[in-house]
Amino acid sequence: MAKVEIEFTPSKESPEVAILTFSGELDSGSIAQIGRSFDLMLEGNYLFAVADMARVTLISSAALGELMGCRTRLLERGGDLVFAGLGIGIREKLTAMDANKVFKFFSDVRSAMNAYNWEYHDRSEGLELSFPSLLKFVPPVRQFASRIARQKGYGNRDSFRIETIVDEICNNAVEHGVEADGGDIDLNMKIDRKKIEIKVSNTSDPDKIDSLKEISKSLFVPQMLTEESKRGRGLALVKMLSNDFEIEYSDIGTCVHVTKLREE
Amino acid sequence: MPDGPLHRIRIKFPGDLEYIPAVRKYVSEILIVNRFTPKFAFRTEIIVDEICNNAVTYGCVSGDSSVEIACLIYEDRIEFQVKDAGGLKEDIARLREAVEAEVSAEKKTAGKPSAAGLGLEIVRLLSEEIDMEVDDNNLTSIRVVRRKEDSSKTGAAR
Repeated sequence: MAKVEIEFTPSKESPEVAILTFSGELDSGSIAQIGRSFDLMLEGNYLFAVADMARVTLISSAALGELMGCRTRLLERGGDLVFAGLGIGIREKLTAMDANKVFKFFSDVRSAMNAYNWEYHDRSEGLELSFPSLLKFVPPVRQFASRIARQKGYGNRDSFRIETIVDEICNNAVEHGVEADGGDIDLNMKIDRKKIEIKVSNTSDPDKIDSLKEISKSLFVPQMLTEESKRGRGLALVKMLSNDFEIEYSDIGTCVHVTKLREE
Repeated sequence: MPDGPLHRIRIKFPGDLEYIPAVRKYVSEILIVNRFTPKFAFRTEIIVDEICNNAVTYGCVSGDSSVEIACLIYEDRIEFQVKDAGGLKEDIARLREAVEAEVSAEKKTAGKPSAAGLGLEIVRLLSEEIDMEVDDNNLTSIRVVRRKEDSSKTGAAR
């Protein structure tokens, strides 16, 4: 029987989280050892555990059952157990057994810790993109925003709305900004468990800034919007889909801030 | 004909492996809209995946560190520069060794500790140039150049 080693270390970043590093083959002979590790963990009042499986070569169904039991013990106390660093083969087998519906899988311990901080400490994460002021760049940008939202656990409807918002404000930035060589468009996204904040800034074209001001004025003064009005529908859509919407003009450029709360 | 880049894009993302699939897909889609072939775009995706994985795994030590990629799009090629906050000295040394290593049978059979896991062999295979810089603060920067197949002087399929 292959020897199993289980090393217990508190996370440096979040000392309330235990990192359990498993190595070897987790078979039926390792059940008692797994149980003891979780006993020790609970005695130390650790409720959250990341099982680092990078050095595991096998997880038998018996060992998986024991890990499910350990997870239940943590869940009953308000904690959780997640897996990190599973090899491709083991991950595929666990997925075939539907274990991915029970445990969350992460690429590595750091990703698991980031997810923990995101979930329990409301940590936000930021992304920045910079791209030329040309319409052809907008579809990849909006799809990127949507993928990030999905990746961070936002639902399909929220992700699609975020994609729509990014599409509209980036299209506007291209339409009302100086063309490619004159200045790039900057997109900043700040995302946390409850909301996403999007900021798009560009270098304004002096010849187009007045028309943009007119359009945006009509958004905040509804009586200025007429049924025949064909301009500003995109920004009206953004305003409707978002929870907070603001446009700032300066001598150098325009900056649109949008906040979208998570609904699903 | 001027040899300046046609376009420049920049991406900065948190040092977390979970972001890499979205980043590599973004770069691939950027190439597609710039009339690079799907094959070129897909192979470039592999490069982005490998160098971003290295940057996150070895170059993002603290929880709040990030990775920055700059892509310069030329008529005939794409150039990447990937920067991370810098990792442990031994990881940087391994990375340098991997970047500077020549793909030769002698070296592979010499029993030297290889750069296995760094994925740079595949990056080297798919690109024309790869080099790295480390500044005094350990900020590590990897530069990769990948040319369109028909613009390669050697004509080798990549």
